[in-house]
Amino acid sequence: MNFTNLQIQTEQLPKVEDVVLKPISKSYLKIILLNKLALYIGVIGLVFGLKYIIEKKEELQLNLWYMLSAVVVFCVFNFIVSLLAFKKRKYAMREHDVVYAKGLLVHSITTVPISRIQHVEESRSWLARHFGLATLKIFTAGEAGSDLSIKGLPYIEAKQIKEIISDKVNGNN
Amino acid sequence: METTDFSQPIRQSSKGIIIIFAFNAFSFFKKFFVLFIAFGVSIMSQKSFGGITPTMMLLALLGVLIIILIIAILKYLNFKFHLSKDDFHLATGIINKDNTIIPKSKIQNVYIKQNFLQQIINVVSVKIETAGDKKSEIEISALDKSTALLLKKKLFNKANVENEHAEQIDTIEASEVFFKVTPKRLLLEGISQNHFKSFLLILTFAYGIYSEFKDFLKDLELEKQIEGLVKLDEDTILNLIITNVVIILVVVLFSFVFSIVTTFIINFNLEVVEHQKTIEINKGLFNKVSLSLTPSRIQNLVIKTNRVKQYFNLHSLSVKQAMVNAKQQKNFKIVALEKEQLNHLINKLLLNYNNEGKVAKPRPYFMRISVLEMLAFGIVINALSLFLFGIEMLWINVVFVPFAVLYVYFAYKKAYYKISDNFLTIGSGVIDTTTNILEIHKIQEVELKQTLFQQRSDIASLVVSTASKSVTIPYISKLEALSIYNFLLYKVESQDRDWM
Repeated sequence: MNFTNLQIQTEQLPKVEDVVLKPISKSYLKIILLNKLALYIGVIGLVFGLKYIIEKKEELQLNLWYMLSAVVVFCVFNFIVSLLAFKKRKYAMREHDVVYAKGLLVHSITTVPISRIQHVEESRSWLARHFGLATLKIFTAGEAGSDLSIKGLPYIEAKQIKEIISDKVNGNN
Repeated sequence: METTDFSQPIRQSSKGIIIIFAFNAFSFFKKFFVLFIAFGVSIMSQKSFGGITPTMMLLALLGVLIIILIIAILKYLNFKFHLSKDDFHLATGIINKDNTIIPKSKIQNVYIKQNFLQQIINVVSVKIETAGDKKSEIEISALDKSTALLLKKKLFNKANVENEHAEQIDTIEASEVFFKVTPKRLLLEGISQNHFKSFLLILTFAYGIYSEFKDFLKDLELEKQIEGLVKLDEDTILNLIITNVVIILVVVLFSFVFSIVTTFIINFNLEVVEHQKTIEINKGLFNKVSLSLTPSRIQNLVIKTNRVKQYFNLHSLSVKQAMVNAKQQKNFKIVALEKEQLNHLINKLLLNYNNEGKVAKPRPYFMRISVLEMLAFGIVINALSLFLFGIEMLWINVVFVPFAVLYVYFAYKKAYYKISDNFLTIGSGVIDTTTNILEIHKIQEVELKQTLFQQRSDIASLVVSTASKSVTIPYISKLEALSIYNFLLYKVESQDRDWM
């Protein structure tokens, strides 16, 4: 079979583009916001700290406002991007694989066949526990980086998916 | 050959003490190297340091060595291993006793290695690798060769005993030396290597030294220099050009010699032995290694050659296996293969690989990205040369622009992908011609990537990961990417084949 043959056949194959991807929990947005806020406060604090140190030595007040506005512009841009990117975080589970889509600037759709999964882990940070969320981590035998982690799932759902996957993984063996 | 009985706990060869001692001493000195230098210098200059005289230092050193020797002996005495029916047992530890048991079926690989010292005292080390992290490796550092080979055989054969009669295989297994490299071909291999990276590296380094040196010279001959500037303007420019050319020539020669020497040291006496199921690679001058490849564990094959190498009919084949650490991975490379030998090996390692399938190319968008890359690179180079060497250094563009054009041209020309029923082949490279082959059923993960800018032109890239490597099919139309995506997943999920 060559590639043209394949084209015809692919019409009938299950299509990843037809899968209805499910958005992750809305509450995860709060976690993102909190994290971002902490980051921005840190960065802006850094700028003021720098100002304090520099001003002790020299008088470079003009520089500070440029720096500050640059940082603020960066923060606003970053904030908007992460807000828009949040909508792109979607996942789905099919019979034979797990699909996860994310990213605004670089959008990616990753699929891991269940038969290739080594183990599944469900982890919760302190904040996530507070909002009733969990992160589902899926490990394959691949090189570092080919593992999947789906953040911001409702805790119950994460647990269910984990159960389903581990059942299937163990069933295969 | 006297048969060694592995069923009783035995120690390694008594020469192991020397190996352990050397190894420990070496790592000890490596750790405290800076300290030693500091102490040494201060003692040399002051004759004594806080009441410590050189003789005392020497005695202390001797004491440390004796302690290391005692530890080595104790380690040797407490290092015992034996084989039971399905397991390998190892007992180690002087104070904390460790008892390791490895089921034979879980053994991934057995390497036989011989470093310089081991070559002198004629022992080999056996490394047993299991799936998992680096810590789960076991090394027996001194066995004589026949024992090591026997151990390897026993470890491997019993591991496969489940479905076949090992004893029979033992007798039938005919192994022949399939490929042996000649020094001439190794020399060619070293010469025809891609010197570009090492060349650039050494060039910048040399220029750095040169400019330092130049300042120094100027300081020395300041008056002459001023005289010369007025009188011999053309001469100095000529001088400058000549020195530059000389430096470049020296660098080229240096990188040539360097890569020839490293090729020789690593691949000395390279030998590929064909067994019935596996393939064995033996090579090395100072560090002799002996590795075996099992087809089922192979995840990717990478074939590399370039224009010059093609002319000499030289191809190199790297085999990427699952669960092999990065350092070991480098050793699974066979260089200086002829085309037919290469094809034979590929056929041996990948069942039914027949290079079929239609060749498809990335979209011309690929070139746009390459041009942008080169533009960015060019800006950096120009800025750097302006900053470091002044305006006259802009002649570098005379070299750079044709290089950039060729880069873009070849990068696109060599990029292709090919999908058949069972294999995915991806070609890439600029100076080198790289071919990546992987079996579709060994895919671990498929990823479709698209940047915001690619959305308009409907272009996407596909990243395919196996257990040892990720490869990218760059910049194809999204529709095609999706159809490949679906096809690959279908292939992986519809057949119940193991990836290892």
